[in-house]
Amino acid sequence: MCDIIWCKKCNTVNYLDPYCFWNWEGKINCAECGEVYYIHMIQGHMYRGPEPRPGEKPDIMPLYADKPLEGYKNYLPGTEGRTRPYNCTPRHIYLGHADYRKFSIRNRPMRAWAPQPAAGGVAGAYGFYWDIKKLSPEVWEEYQEKIKKGEVRDW
Amino acid sequence: MTDPREVRLEDLPGPKSREELEDMKAPYEEYCRKLFDVGNEYVKPAALDGIRWMSCTMYIFTPHSVSNLAELGAEVIKIEMPRMGDPMRHTSPFNECYYYPLHDTRPKTGTGIGVLNANVNEYYITMDYHREEAKEPFYRLVKMSDGLTECYRPGTFDRWKQSYRYLQEINPRFIYVWGGGFGYGPKAFGGSYDILGQSHAGLASITGFHEDFGGHPVKHTNWCIDWYSGTQITVAVLAALYWRRKTGLGTMIEFSQVQAATRCTGYAVPLYGRFGVVRQRWGNWDTQLCVHGIILCGKSDYPDEKNPQLRNEARYVMVSAFNDPDFKELCNIIKRPDLYEKYKTHKQRVEAEAQVEIYREIEKWAADKSRSEVVRILTDAGILAAPVKNDKEVYDSEHFRQRGSVRWLDDPMMGDVLCHSSFSCGLLSETPRRKFWDFRPVGADNIKVYHELLGYPMSTIKKWYEENLI
Repeated sequence: MCDIIWCKKCNTVNYLDPYCFWNWEGKINCAECGEVYYIHMIQGHMYRGPEPRPGEKPDIMPLYADKPLEGYKNYLPGTEGRTRPYNCTPRHIYLGHADYRKFSIRNRPMRAWAPQPAAGGVAGAYGFYWDIKKLSPEVWEEYQEKIKKGEVRDW
Repeated sequence: MTDPREVRLEDLPGPKSREELEDMKAPYEEYCRKLFDVGNEYVKPAALDGIRWMSCTMYIFTPHSVSNLAELGAEVIKIEMPRMGDPMRHTSPFNECYYYPLHDTRPKTGTGIGVLNANVNEYYITMDYHREEAKEPFYRLVKMSDGLTECYRPGTFDRWKQSYRYLQEINPRFIYVWGGGFGYGPKAFGGSYDILGQSHAGLASITGFHEDFGGHPVKHTNWCIDWYSGTQITVAVLAALYWRRKTGLGTMIEFSQVQAATRCTGYAVPLYGRFGVVRQRWGNWDTQLCVHGIILCGKSDYPDEKNPQLRNEARYVMVSAFNDPDFKELCNIIKRPDLYEKYKTHKQRVEAEAQVEIYREIEKWAADKSRSEVVRILTDAGILAAPVKNDKEVYDSEHFRQRGSVRWLDDPMMGDVLCHSSFSCGLLSETPRRKFWDFRPVGADNIKVYHELLGYPMSTIKKWYEENLI
């Protein structure tokens, strides 16, 4: 963080991340009470502000805010109307939980879903080869369909 | 009469004169393609065939040092904790990308994609080797192996009676590798991580932009010091193998990861020794050459992409124009010939203040252009420029495809896996690296090793399994 705006109205700390605010001039809202502050930062230092600008429209929201004097209450990135989303985590790709897939981007089968059939060997020993036709016949069928449709590529 | 023992040049097959030799030579390109024969590595011999190595390793750093051996043909037995496996199996970007199965007892748990490339071509067994009952199979493996790599805290294996001084007694040719954080000395019990190596060795302090430009000390996004240090260990192992050929004796290799990372800092430490000057970060620019850096362009090459990595970040170009004619041409292109007049010699433009001005002017010129436009304009003018590629572009790169650096592997156990690591480590004409499989489930080769190699009866293996020994 290069600096903070500590809103005295509601005792909330709004964090100014260096990636956005290192050299920045404009208005930013408090994540809790919505009070608008004007700041001008040069090379990470607060050159002017924060000055309250009640009633004005903010240019940007903080990325993260919390209330350190009131325990762990916080506003995580992307809380609607309060903090802006962390733009480098594309949520349509990253889900945060195991993402089962049966085919790679070139539509060939990969063993990326659970559960899988048990080893069947002693002491958890597995055979060398995944016999997809025998062990996962439904995926094999789907694969054959993909081949017929010409969806299976080399790259 | 000619002497039948005399071999005449004209009777031999092949060229008879220097001119003929030149005529018969295949063009270099064709020669290389035939020599390295990318895609057919598997029919060639493997350099380390006959070497057997034990891997008591975790995460990336030490596993990778052994993976290098396995890719070059060594038979590697990776020993993991029963039911759990290498902790690296349980890490995956954002907890999403797994391959299954992990182990019979954990049907819904998978192996995270973070483990890829670090334990290639190895056999996977389980053994809780600090238990007394495990000592016998462990020592028997030592007797029939060439070496071992471990990453426990210093002295742990010694406490368990399986350090170099114990193993040397049962196998004097044994090569023993300890790889970890600090090694013996003041911080003997400090563990290690890649980020610790980057920080402790002073590497992070000279990576990234200076605070004056909004930068901070930066660690590499990937665990590059893990991969780097692992490779350094492999170099030491190969030297130890050569030493053993000459003397018949083993070696102990003690490898501190934080120590190894100092090698990446280049002249930083000698600079301090000479002048007392602490080297600063210089980000995407260069302290020895100017122009020789990465600039930001105004427009993305993928303005409509959903992924911000493509939409917002495909805007960087690497530019190199440090010699006088190139710099002059660059100044003409950006319509600032006065810059060349101002900084005519390289000595002048490599100064810090000059660099700030020069890069700012280049970025101003690029502000209304896309990355590909900038590359095209500069390349057409004979200046070295290349886009800063992301992973998608590496995958699409014809250069990597033709040389086999990036390729698809039909992993016998896990199916379709895109891989790069093994085949990006340089080409060897006679004994190339190769990848048969990436990894296998926890304990997948228990029978192969305990029963087929060591000869334990199946009943013993079942008993050990029930007792959680394996």
